Order: sequence, then structure tokens, then C-alpha cells
Amino acid sequence: MIISVASGKGGTGKTTVAVSLAMARGYCNFMDYDVEAPNASFFLKPDIKNEQTVTMKQPYFLTETGADFKKCAEFCHFNAVAVAGKEVIFFPELCHGCGGCLLVGPEGSVMEKDVEVGKIRKGKADPGISFFMGDLKPGYMRTITIQSEMDKLIEHDKIVIIDCPPGTSCPMVFSLKDSDYCVLVTEPTPYGLNDLDLSIEVLKSMKIPYGVIINRDGIGDGKVEEYCNKNNIKILLKIPNDMGIARNYSRGVSLVEYDNSWAGKFNKILDFIEKEAV
Amino acid sequence: MKVAISSSGTDLGSNVDPRFGRCPYFIIYDTSNDNFEVVNNQGRQAMGGAGIQAAQLVIDSKADAVISGNIGPNSYHVFSSASIKVYSGVSGTIEEAINKLKKGELKETSSPDVSSHFGTGPNWNN
Repeated sequence: MIISVASGKGGTGKTTVAVSLAMARGYCNFMDYDVEAPNASFFLKPDIKNEQTVTMKQPYFLTETGADFKKCAEFCHFNAVAVAGKEVIFFPELCHGCGGCLLVGPEGSVMEKDVEVGKIRKGKADPGISFFMGDLKPGYMRTITIQSEMDKLIEHDKIVIIDCPPGTSCPMVFSLKDSDYCVLVTEPTPYGLNDLDLSIEVLKSMKIPYGVIINRDGIGDGKVEEYCNKNNIKILLKIPNDMGIARNYSRGVSLVEYDNSWAGKFNKILDFIEKEAV
Repeated sequence: MKVAISSSGTDLGSNVDPRFGRCPYFIIYDTSNDNFEVVNNQGRQAMGGAGIQAAQLVIDSKADAVISGNIGPNSYHVFSSASIKVYSGVSGTIEEAINKLKKGELKETSSPDVSSHFGTGPNWNN
């Protein structure tokens, strides 16, 4: 069963919740799909045993053939290729690896090679957690290339916790796409509510069941709760705005390690999801 | 000499646009006969690489030089590969810019003066 943890707004506590769910239950898969800024390892402290390099195909141009590469520049939707006379200027960070320039360019003068876009690190964390994190190479916009390689590592007979990237764009949608349930984390502020609403739009259109965790409860206003009640949305948990939680978070101490009574609360959420929501 | 100028409008009274890649128009001005043509910058709404696409447009227009308010690293890289002279940091009208160029008052820019994505975001109202 795949449970993803997402939020429209960044910094609402996705990783706090995802890590707590994994630690409370144990013997699960933990997937850090926030490959642009993976941080779950700070809390789970996995013993990384294995690294996998993720590559994409990128073109290179044999300019010594004297061929005209103009068509490659015209074709590239992402503007990764410019042509000045016989010279080709290639921008690897913009290339999506579609291979179009091989098709439209001068035959035999455009080649392809594997280029590293990031790594997947694998290891074990307590208790019995199989840990996977994607780590995108800075400057490369190949988030989904890495996430799709991570998809292949999921052990489907286990509970799988996916820590999603923030926002509601492609990387978030891709992370969620196979989820049986999504836990949306928000904060009780106007910004939190706005982005919660956007996330719910995404989940509705993807037909994925969801519930809400309100983090830093006590700040802002009561509008998020009002919104959930009005729309019949399950509030799974409220985490108070608490200096002790914040202080420990900043030192890499998860909620369940800081105060073990949280383990029961997160296990209850997982029980609810397994028995009633899915 | 042919020079491509990032422009906010379609005539010589328009202002030099502060953005290179995402300006609405380019005025391609020929200083040998004082003729000019206006080219729509069709790549200005590109998701990424607008500067590269615009630089390609300038190369294709056979310009020898480019004038703009700001030039980012990718466009600058293309211009230096294509040996096109870059005059950046220019403001005022297109006409004023051309007069300065003719009098030799513009100084060639030797590096990009803004970072990538300078011309994107909510501060630009288009």
C-alpha cells in the first residue's frame, strides 16, 4: 500500500509527518521523492549502503563533419541548442533528452551519450525501514527522470511512505500517481489554506482519497478547520505549534523520537487508512 | 553594421527593453543605410531558454551587434560563440541608443550582467 505525504505550500511539515509515519510503524519503504531538496535522511539517519547513478540521453554534435545543425536548434522546444554558423552551442541543463535533434539533424553528425542527472541512495533505517532517496544533480531539471527510476524500487508488498516534493506541479503529481491514500499536511494560515485547496483539486482529479494533518496548530486562524468541516474532509491529526518540537526538528530529532506518545497517534492514522480509507 | 536592439515597441521612439530574452520586439537596425525592421520576439513566452532562442533570432538576422538593458549568461554565451558584439546596460529610446552607438559612446560588455531568469516572474507585467 502506497501512502504519500504532500502539501501545496512548502515547509508545512511533510517530512516531519512522513518520517513519523515510517518510524511509528517500521518495516516499511520510505521514499524521499523530494529529489530537489531531499531531507528525510536528516531524521531517519539511514545507513546508506548503495548508490545508483541515474542518467539521461543527451546529444553531442560532430561539428567537424561541417554539417548544418540549424534544424536541431529550430526543433528544440526547450531551446537547448543554438547554432552560429558551423558552431553548435549546447545547454545540457535545458535538454530533456527527447532525441529529436538526432531525428531532424544531419544524419550521422548527431550522437547520443549517457549523462548523469542524479543519484538514488539506498539504505536501512530503524526500525527495519528500507530507505530510498533521490538526489538531483544541481542545475538539472530532471526530477521525474529520478522519480521514475525510484518507482521501480518500490516493494509493493510493504507499506510505502512517499515524501513528496512541495507544490502542485509535475513532480508532485508524479510522486502521487500510484498512491492508495494521500496525507495532506498544512498549516492554519491563509497561505496554507490556499495551497491545501490547490492540492485537493489535484487529488480529486486523480481520484486519490486523502485526509489532512494541521501542523503548527494554534497559529493563524481557524479557516483551514472550517474549510475541512464544510467540505467533509477528514482531519487526521493536529500537531501543536510547540517550541520543543521545533527545537528538536532543527537538531534532526523526529516527532516520535522527541515524544514517543506521537508514535501511537501516527499508528492510529495508518490503521485508519488501512481499515477504512482505502 | 547591423545591430539588434531589444525593444518595448515597434518604432525608434520606443524604449530599449531591459530584458533581452523576453522583450516583446527586436529592432534590427542597419547603420549603413538607416533602415530598420521590426521582428516579433516569438520566444518570449518560452518556459525556459528564452534568451537562447532570442540569441538565435539575432544570429539569424545577420546582426553584428546587440544592444539591450541586460544580458543573461546563456545568451551571452551564444553571442560570444557567434562573435556578436554585446552592448548591455543601455536605456532610453532606440534612437538614442543608435546615436550613441554611432558616436562610439557605447562600451562593449565583456560578461553577462544578470543571472538566468532575470526577465521572468511577477515583476514584469506581461
